[in-house]
Amino acid sequence: MSSRAQAEQHIEVHKFYGGAMALAAFLALFLQAFLNKYGSWAAMLELPLLITIYFSVSRRSPAIGLLLGAMVGILQDAVSHMPIGFYGIAKTLVGYVASSFGARIDTEHPLSRFGLVVAFFFFHQAVLTILNRLILGRPGSYFSWRLLIASIVNAGVAMFLFPALDRLRKPHG
Amino acid sequence: MIDFPSKQRPFTLLTIVILLQVLLLAFQIKRERDVRLVRVWAAEIFTPVQRVATWILSGVGGSWHNYIGLRHMRQENDQLHAEVDRLQLRNRELESRAMEGDRLAALLHFRDSHTDAPMLFAQVIGASADSTSRIVFINHGERDHLKRNLAVITPDGVVGKIVEVTSNSAQVLLITDKDSGVGALFSETRTQGVVKGTGEPQLRMDYVVNEEKVHAGEAIVTSGEDRIFPKDLPLATVTAARPGNPFQKIDVKPVARLDRLEEVIVLLSQQDISLKPTPDEAASTPDVSIVPAKQPATTAPAASKP
Repeated sequence: MSSRAQAEQHIEVHKFYGGAMALAAFLALFLQAFLNKYGSWAAMLELPLLITIYFSVSRRSPAIGLLLGAMVGILQDAVSHMPIGFYGIAKTLVGYVASSFGARIDTEHPLSRFGLVVAFFFFHQAVLTILNRLILGRPGSYFSWRLLIASIVNAGVAMFLFPALDRLRKPHG
Repeated sequence: MIDFPSKQRPFTLLTIVILLQVLLLAFQIKRERDVRLVRVWAAEIFTPVQRVATWILSGVGGSWHNYIGLRHMRQENDQLHAEVDRLQLRNRELESRAMEGDRLAALLHFRDSHTDAPMLFAQVIGASADSTSRIVFINHGERDHLKRNLAVITPDGVVGKIVEVTSNSAQVLLITDKDSGVGALFSETRTQGVVKGTGEPQLRMDYVVNEEKVHAGEAIVTSGEDRIFPKDLPLATVTAARPGNPFQKIDVKPVARLDRLEEVIVLLSQQDISLKPTPDEAASTPDVSIVPAKQPATTAPAASKP
């Protein structure tokens, strides 16, 4: 048996019910668009990002992670005023990196999930800032107190959302 | 906890997906002047490449152009060289014809000035094959009533005498030949002597006593004592004189350009003629001065080879 196969034995890959990822992504986008109508506080939420992080980390497959991120991001672009590909690129990278992390570290513990969400929120924001500056020619910041609060808020939401999504996993058998 | 699965394939997929989305963005986003970002990028990517390609092509093209130009220049240079050579040849021909014209004009003038003196114009058609003798051939012979011991001159001075005659040509022994001798005298002092050839361009005047004052540049004319050359024809000029035993050693230079003989005059009699009358003579006397030939003096030194 190869070392890779031996290593993969220690990786716990979670599978979900059919259409769970698509449904979750659709709901996240819908809620994001819906909640944004009710105040600027809702703008702090990044539900599509949380969905991308969760499923990428859970599936632990970079290919699935990046494709999921690309799909969610492009859909988010489609329902926003941003050019198609703006959030798509950011979430593609998040999905790819998150699935890579999920394959290497324990992502089931609440604290690690909290930390992952905060880290990926800033990573996502950094990619958006880079795209803003390089492609759109707009200013953007990598860090601000508002971003910090937003990351904590999203991490807090993830503390409830992720366990809820855990219920969509197929039981091991 | 930490594991490193193979990421090569997902990374390729990631790259493709990211690039596709970047392209998607580039097609949507417009920059200044409503130019799509993809066009800006394309220009930014391709412009340096095009610039380099243009630079290379222009360099190659320039080199090629220069090479072709140099080739053409070389051909043109060769053509110009050939043209220059042809023109130089043509120029020499024209110069030669001009000089020939001058010479013929001088001869014509000479004949016009001496209408009563029987003479014949001849062309030099060859020279001796023997490097030790100074002989030329002329294009007239017995048919033209030429015979041995006729004087041959140019408007400048004495050339030599005819030594052999055939029907159509004659052999002229130049005064520079070692066997040649001409009765001569100094035009000022009238001291006589004999001008002999040396085989070299220089001549020598013999039989002049040491007491006689001779100076360089002094003119020597024919004495007429040899019964070949009329008297007072310009013959030579003194270049150097020094005492000798028993006579002076006098180096003289012929006045005729013997190295450039082309047309000559054969005097058919020994009538005295004046080749170059002085301005005073020219003013007071007719152009042609023809006097009866003098009898050769029996006391004069043997001047000419029989």
